[in-house]
Amino acid sequence: MSDAGLRLRSRLALRIQRLLSYAGLIVSGPVLLAIYHLRFRYSAHGLREVRARYRALRAAHPGPLLICSNHLTLVDSIIQAIVLGSLWTYLRHPAALPWNLPEAKNYYHSWSWRLTCYLGRCIPVERGASRERATFAQARMNYVLERGDAIAIFPEGKRSRDGRVDDRDFSYGVGQLLNQVPGAGVLCIYLRGMRFGGFADFPPAGERFYLQLEMLAPQSASHGLRRARDLSAQVIARIRKMEADYFAARDAGTLAMPGPP
Amino acid sequence: MTEAQITEKVIALVTPYVKNRAALANVTRDTTFLADLGINSARLVDIVLAFEDEFGIEVSDDAADSIATVGDAVDLIGKLVP
Repeated sequence: MSDAGLRLRSRLALRIQRLLSYAGLIVSGPVLLAIYHLRFRYSAHGLREVRARYRALRAAHPGPLLICSNHLTLVDSIIQAIVLGSLWTYLRHPAALPWNLPEAKNYYHSWSWRLTCYLGRCIPVERGASRERATFAQARMNYVLERGDAIAIFPEGKRSRDGRVDDRDFSYGVGQLLNQVPGAGVLCIYLRGMRFGGFADFPPAGERFYLQLEMLAPQSASHGLRRARDLSAQVIARIRKMEADYFAARDAGTLAMPGPP
Repeated sequence: MTEAQITEKVIALVTPYVKNRAALANVTRDTTFLADLGINSARLVDIVLAFEDEFGIEVSDDAADSIATVGDAVDLIGKLVP
């Protein structure tokens, strides 16, 4: 399935959404940053290095990109976007700001959330959706990818209830997207709060975030669903390894942990 | 291979992924994998791949998307088995 089945109206709607989300960033960006810094006093470990690395990776892979992250809190997408790039970076390079794929049931229950998601460059997805609706959502994702944008996706398909990457019961959505857009790059990200960490709706105030990022080129000689499963498993394995690296560095004392907030 | 044999194998392959064990006791052709048996959509992919391995068939993505009930799976496999 490609974006070929996507009607002109839907393609146009996505382009308008992208434009409005970009324009809205001038207002929503400073508001989100104020909430991040002032209300919750969040910060990030090695921020400059992370942002420089993301800029370099995006410059090296300017086309479609899947940003694949572990998933612990309801606001991972926002925190990840703030840590990966400055407002200035996103204004200069709109393709660096990823699309998001929220579960419709969780975020599309009120008009205010719908507007937030619209301006937050979201494409809603539904678990257990009908074939038509799943096909439509997939075609929208393919379209934005084929235009060279990035999509942030959580390969586990759910938040990690035990705080660790689940490498046994995970979704194959990443692999299915890679089957549809084989030229897409894969950027694996491990994001975790260093002070509190773990599963939560919202990270506690004063949290300091660790973010590591690595490109991955998953391979499979299979095709179809089997290929989707192979590719998804490789992405999950990489994020799991990044998690292991984080804890190993923390335990070895090579990662400077923050003091109390 | 008869429809009954295929159905028996399908149920055996699906069983490890079923969350609603009570529904498993009363499976019919109309039993849905997602809503009735409580199988999540990612595991449905595993099940389709298990069908491929067990029956020596290849299921296209479109055909896999069309599998919603036990009857859908049995009919599809019946058409594809050599």
